[in-house]
Amino acid sequence: MNASDQLELAECITRARTGDLEAWGELYREFAGPIFRFCRRSLHTKEDAEDATTEIFMKVHEKLAQYDSTRPFQAWLYKVAANHCWDSLRRRRIRQDLETEGVEEMPLEHPDPSQLNLLLDAQSTKEMRDALKKLPARARMALVLRYYTDMSYDEIAETLGVRRNFVGVVLLRARHQLREALTGQSLQGMNAEQTP
Amino acid sequence: MSQFNQHTGGFDRHYDEITCLQYLEGLLDRPTARELSAHTDQCTDCRELMHALERESRLLSNALREQEEAVPAHLLAGPVRDKTPWAWVASFGMAAAGVYWLWTSFINPAMAQANEVGFGSTDLLSTLFFQGALWKGWPEMWSLIQGVAVVSLSVIGFFLLRRSLRKFNTIAMVMTALLVALGMPTGASAAEIHRHESHYTLPAGAVVHDDLIVFGDSVEIDGTVDGDLISFGRNLTITGHITGDVISFGALTEISGIVDGSVRSFSNQLMFRGKIGKNLMIFTNQLKTDAQSTIGWGATLFVGGDATLNGRIERGILGFTQRMDLNGFVGGNTDLKSSDSFTIGPQAQSMGKIAYTGSVQPEVSSSAKLASPVETTIEIHKIDWYAGITYWHKLLFWGAGFVFGLVVLLIAPGFFVETVQNVERFGVSLGVGVLTIIATFIVAVAVCFTIVGLGIGIATLLLWFIAMYGSHLFTAAWLGRKLVGKKSFAGVVAGKKSWPVPYKGALIGQFALGLLLLDAIRLIPYVGFCAAVLAQVWGFGALALTIYHRIHPGVRSSIDAAPATA
Repeated sequence: MNASDQLELAECITRARTGDLEAWGELYREFAGPIFRFCRRSLHTKEDAEDATTEIFMKVHEKLAQYDSTRPFQAWLYKVAANHCWDSLRRRRIRQDLETEGVEEMPLEHPDPSQLNLLLDAQSTKEMRDALKKLPARARMALVLRYYTDMSYDEIAETLGVRRNFVGVVLLRARHQLREALTGQSLQGMNAEQTP
Repeated sequence: MSQFNQHTGGFDRHYDEITCLQYLEGLLDRPTARELSAHTDQCTDCRELMHALERESRLLSNALREQEEAVPAHLLAGPVRDKTPWAWVASFGMAAAGVYWLWTSFINPAMAQANEVGFGSTDLLSTLFFQGALWKGWPEMWSLIQGVAVVSLSVIGFFLLRRSLRKFNTIAMVMTALLVALGMPTGASAAEIHRHESHYTLPAGAVVHDDLIVFGDSVEIDGTVDGDLISFGRNLTITGHITGDVISFGALTEISGIVDGSVRSFSNQLMFRGKIGKNLMIFTNQLKTDAQSTIGWGATLFVGGDATLNGRIERGILGFTQRMDLNGFVGGNTDLKSSDSFTIGPQAQSMGKIAYTGSVQPEVSSSAKLASPVETTIEIHKIDWYAGITYWHKLLFWGAGFVFGLVVLLIAPGFFVETVQNVERFGVSLGVGVLTIIATFIVAVAVCFTIVGLGIGIATLLLWFIAMYGSHLFTAAWLGRKLVGKKSFAGVVAGKKSWPVPYKGALIGQFALGLLLLDAIRLIPYVGFCAAVLAQVWGFGALALTIYHRIHPGVRSSIDAAPATA
């Protein structure tokens, strides 16, 4: 987003905060797509993502007055979205992993880079997304927050309700789970090919 | 930050994965980062690991940000924007265009036709029943109206239920609707039709071996119609014989002949001296049956003025009249609601029970022969403000409304919220409310008169009544929300499936409060009535707008914004 776009966005936000529904509509149309995709990555079904998108914008509309305009709007928006999605997952009791769960089991040994490269060589973005869907909620959410919204570790910690020091562990653990899922997919694919 | 791990490779010590990852993400403190950087210059394993992790990050990022799936159109349609001035202009423009179209296409030709046959009326009922009926293109309109009604109901049903129903069910529903539409009768069977005749006479001795449909100033049937008679005209006189039914629309209907079937009449006045084989159903201002007249079955009467029954009715009477004078024979029960008076004359004879509801006691002649005394219920339309039961009834009324609204809110929360949001658009909702209330009712009633479209007409009327009842609930919810002080909704709720949990309790409470206030306002004389009508129309308009928005979500498929951080 260039400087003129930023200026336009800031002006639009200011107008929306004064109750200008036209400006609110512009904001909505600008960010509905990215927020929907964020929800789509974080939640289980398309319907959930659609609902969450509308709910997030309802919250944003009500909280717009609280937005600190010195901070990037996108970051704030994603923060609201992330909180909403995480709350939603938590409410549905599908958050399977607790804050410190599995920390002791974390593999801290040096992995074989060639094996990892081989695994990555065989993956497309679609397969990556398919594998992401198989991850537990917190692992998936952590990866989405870091690699879709570019959230900092502090923000991720705040959103997921974990200590800052654990964020790195959570992310690494999520990567390992992703690799396991990718390996499983690859094996399934190979088995399917071998089956006459 | 960094941790070291013994490894048996070329180097004695390697950095663990998490440290490498944090280095890549710029999270290591400067000395550790420098140390690691120096290490990776020498250590192939760690360098490769860093590259692999970086690749993995890139692949992850690309996979997450790839826009492989379109954003649903209803989400991109966005919030309802406040375009009040344009909405007003468009609304009034469309209303004006609609009125002009109605006038030039229907009302004006119908009135000209009515004048041609010497019939003119000023009340809405007559305008609906007679002027519309006299329009010359009316028969062709039946199929169109049926089609429109079926399609409208299907579309409304589809859009209301589409989030609940999945593909298969939706297809099944649409197919069923199409089958219903295709399976409907295409119209009346062949009939002899006479149009544009100021005077039509079927002379004595003449026989029409078919249904007879006549449009004319004066219609006189002295001969025989071997079928049904449908008459649109100022005066209808039957002295002959009709083997089927009679349906008449006009100012004066006189029957002194014989009708083997039933008579359904919409006339200002009906004089009956003859014989009806089956039922009489009449919507009229004045009804008089002579002593020699006979109705083989029963009579259903809607009489705005006087009803005088001197003849024989072999079965019962169901009547709503202003004044009733019974001085003939009734073979069955009589259930009568008469607002001004009910007189039972000396010649009266009733074989069944007589139940009467009215504001005054009936006058019963001592010579009248009644199987049992008249069961009288005196209704006094006056609210006793000191009686506790009055407030209990009001509370029940509120409770019924609350439960109804709650059901709608829980079944279709998105729909409910969107409608409440539309209430916010006062001018547009009110304008649309006035138009749709009248238009829907007219279309529904008109469809009822097609006979073949009776089912659709009744279904539409039923929906209309439900919508009329429910419409004020949306206004109440909006009122409650205003009272509590929360601002309007974000306006992005179209197409929602499930309720946004944080708002659920709040809106239910606001709705309950608003409804209570609205019902309290209704208790105020005059002002309450006006407020109730306003809330009804306003809510109806908002409801219509929601349905309209669901049907036309304003697709903006071209918007496909990339992630803001991309």
